[in-house]
Amino acid sequence: MTRNASGTTTMNDVKALLRLLGTLMMAEGVAMLSCLIPALHFHDGTWLPMLLSGAFTLLLGFEMRYSFSDYKVIKDRRMSYLLVVMIWVVLSLFGVLPFMATGAVTDFTDAFFESMSGLTSTGATILSDIESMPSSILLWRSMSEWIGGFGIVLLVLAIVPSLGINKYSLYTAEASGADNTGKMTTGMGTTVRHTLTIYVALTAGFIIILMCAGMHFWDAVNMTFTNISSGGFAIYNDSIASLTHAQQYILAAEMLFSGVNFMMLYLMFTLDWKKIRHKWDQFRCYIIILAVVSAFVVVSLHYKMDFDWSDALRCGVVQTLSVVTTTGSVISDTTQWWVPLMFLFAIVPLTGGMAGSTTGGLKMMRVLILLRNVKCILRNRLHPKSVSPVRLNGSPLSNELITNVMVIFFVYVVVMFVGTLALIVSGINATESIGAMVGCLTSYGPGLGASGGFGSYAAFTEPAKWICSLAMLMGRLECMSVLMLFMPGFWRK
Amino acid sequence: MNEWNPLNRLPIDTNKLNFKLISRLVGLMLMAMAVVLVLPVGVSAWYGEGAVAGLAESLGLMAVMGALMFFVFGRKANYNLPERDSFWVTSVVWLVVPLAGVLPFMLTGTMDDMTDAAFESISGFTTTGASVVAFPELLPKGLLLWRSLTQWMGGLGLILMLIAMVEKLHDGGYRLYEAEFSGTVQKKLHPHISKSVSLMWRIYVGITLVLLIGLVACGNGVVESLCLSLSTISTGGFVTRSTGLTGFNAASMVMIVVFMFESGINVALVYLLVTAKGRRMWNDEEFRAYVMTFLVAVTICVAGFVAAGNAMGESIRYSLFHVASTLSTCGFYIESPAKWSMWVSVMTFLMILLGASAGSTGGGLKLKRVMILVKYVRNFFMKMLHPNAVFSVKMDKKKVPEEYINKIFGFVFLYFTFVLGGAFVLTLCGADIPNAVCMAATNISNLGPSPLINSLGANMNYEALSSVAKWTLMLLMLAGRLEIFAIVAVFMPAYWKKR
Repeated sequence: MTRNASGTTTMNDVKALLRLLGTLMMAEGVAMLSCLIPALHFHDGTWLPMLLSGAFTLLLGFEMRYSFSDYKVIKDRRMSYLLVVMIWVVLSLFGVLPFMATGAVTDFTDAFFESMSGLTSTGATILSDIESMPSSILLWRSMSEWIGGFGIVLLVLAIVPSLGINKYSLYTAEASGADNTGKMTTGMGTTVRHTLTIYVALTAGFIIILMCAGMHFWDAVNMTFTNISSGGFAIYNDSIASLTHAQQYILAAEMLFSGVNFMMLYLMFTLDWKKIRHKWDQFRCYIIILAVVSAFVVVSLHYKMDFDWSDALRCGVVQTLSVVTTTGSVISDTTQWWVPLMFLFAIVPLTGGMAGSTTGGLKMMRVLILLRNVKCILRNRLHPKSVSPVRLNGSPLSNELITNVMVIFFVYVVVMFVGTLALIVSGINATESIGAMVGCLTSYGPGLGASGGFGSYAAFTEPAKWICSLAMLMGRLECMSVLMLFMPGFWRK
Repeated sequence: MNEWNPLNRLPIDTNKLNFKLISRLVGLMLMAMAVVLVLPVGVSAWYGEGAVAGLAESLGLMAVMGALMFFVFGRKANYNLPERDSFWVTSVVWLVVPLAGVLPFMLTGTMDDMTDAAFESISGFTTTGASVVAFPELLPKGLLLWRSLTQWMGGLGLILMLIAMVEKLHDGGYRLYEAEFSGTVQKKLHPHISKSVSLMWRIYVGITLVLLIGLVACGNGVVESLCLSLSTISTGGFVTRSTGLTGFNAASMVMIVVFMFESGINVALVYLLVTAKGRRMWNDEEFRAYVMTFLVAVTICVAGFVAAGNAMGESIRYSLFHVASTLSTCGFYIESPAKWSMWVSVMTFLMILLGASAGSTGGGLKLKRVMILVKYVRNFFMKMLHPNAVFSVKMDKKKVPEEYINKIFGFVFLYFTFVLGGAFVLTLCGADIPNAVCMAATNISNLGPSPLINSLGANMNYEALSSVAKWTLMLLMLAGRLEIFAIVAVFMPAYWKKR
């Protein structure tokens, strides 16, 4: 209930929306300000523009947060969906500031692409020479992925449940805090706190491990930020290819963690094995897919590409992890790999990691439900008298949940096809269009051809870049809430 | 478990497969094929071709095998067909018949590679029309006719042929029907399934004859007209010349375009047209959508071609032909305008996925399914905004049950998985990514040749592919024709287990 009852409901909702956006902008502003540290330390002369953009975002957010501090509840469902989309759009718009202010990126389209790619933890870049960028911009890119990765978990676990729209399974029920089998805590506050603790602990832990493996602190921070969030921006032109083998394996471990459900991670840390069992199905599916795909990649690298076994193992496993968790770090010039491998890397991101993780794609759980549902349909056709519901973790799923998963799958596929065709029409060739659309929609990042491997999206046409930006947004928010805004019924009273 | 079946008045054991009946039905199919083969043998004999011996041998073999299965192994069969058995009949018929269809290709000595012959045969029976024959004009006329006849038989469906022939199947016939056309509930023309199906066959034969007479009247050779009309009405797409339909006169082209368009329509609706109730066709939502899709696609293609710098007349002519051929999943081709347009590629790809109407001879996802899904998704969005409101999906003013929608979603999921999986195997065989995706999509949609697949060359030939690629495409064709479920069922433990 809003305490301030004056004015229309819609206006109150808008104010509540602005309040929440303000809070998140404050966080973004703080993140930008923290990029001052490398700017001052490395003396690359970008401290002033960085300070200005950070301060502007922070102050504007502060203003919005506190002038509407009385408006806490969003009543109108439509406003809730709008909010979900606005979070990424508005934060990406402000995220453009550092790029433009420092002059690192001069074109607005490019800057928005880069900013959206960061905050959706996609990792697609328009920068062709990353190493020439000022350090503050490098940190901002990594930072944007890090907060973006946490942002999606926050959205799924806390914001959406608090808005009361998770019932419609935008974000699968198991991922959200409303799940009854593996409930983490009851309140939104504690959920956020626990999630943040795990995220920060993992980040700090991996920074230390990377430093133990001989990486410089600065590099370790950037690489951890981008890999633990399943983002994939790198601070080197050749992504992670020139790191030592140990460091690459450590980054692979980060990716592995980034694909696991956060509640599961929490349960792992608290050693609550009994509850973990309730999430076992999805985790098993995640591990099986990882194992099968990496086995295939390793074997074909050895036999088809003449990698020796140790290289094949390293490149195969690391790259597979990067693909399945939709991270997008690249260990070798994948554009030169065997064509089926490249195609595999354009299919596998569609499944993504576990629901409730930082990864993109459809999420393992949905794939599992889709498969089991098909099996169920067939079993009923063959033996009509037997009754067998679709089960997940041992408990039967409601028909409503199954159709929700189906709808999201269908919409996802339609968006993918339409997006690919739109890219083709905007002048990108067919192979690259397929790669770029999958890369952006699943928040994997690299595409096929020029945008794949160590390449960038720099050569894409202006409309193509906007299509990709939209795809990243849609992919991150699992299509439905973004498409909702385009429904004619949405804006009608 | 024994249960009492009131129709057959015999207690039956549903745990065991009814092998006798399966054998009897497959035997019947083989004998029917032998009867159909009389026509190519006759044509071959008339033209005094050397192929006549091979064709006659195949005829004999099919007749003997068929008779053996029908009269000996299938003696005193119980005409009861539970669900699992109906799946068995479907898969066995669709396995045995195309394999038997290989015989004429092998025995005439036209093809000595089993893979190629099987490819041609399966491509025929599934009405795909992908061919490994580079120069069809060099084939003996009898064999050319056999190719088109396979498509014609497969067009309305082998199982439909069976149901029309066997009246005793009762509701088992309906189950078979379901197993072949999973998910698209067909309007019944007659309360008795067998009567209803034979009515469909009569329409089918009638339309084919009309086109045949038309094509002959336009001045084409009789055998060529026959081949083309068989391939057109079945939305098959085998051609008689390596240049496709380039070079036929304007009148024949108009006829073929009209009949390609017609063959993408639900056969039950064509019945309305034939019985002079044509106005009621327009009441059918899917038909309206089909016409609209056709018009929109033609408009976009024409605009694309004109914008790319082609002449207006040529653009319109090609677009009409191309859209009719692609939307009905017929797969005929003519020489395209000099300058290709990306918009045409995009439209073509969308049409390949959409496919023709449910209950037609065409393939693809089928318009009806897509319409139901789109309506369901629209309702889903409304429900997200208004959680307490109740929405239902309606087709032709009738509510579509939820269970049915679930099946369609499952179907789309499998379809998508098959396209990607198939494309992946094709890349393993050396295809590049766009070609692999297009090839998988056109073959699962039973379209066959399409200008989208630029690796095929001008005469749309699949010969150069490796044999693994060919077998993959065959599986895709069968999956597309049997609407996937009947194929996937084979890989289910429940298919092999008793209960």
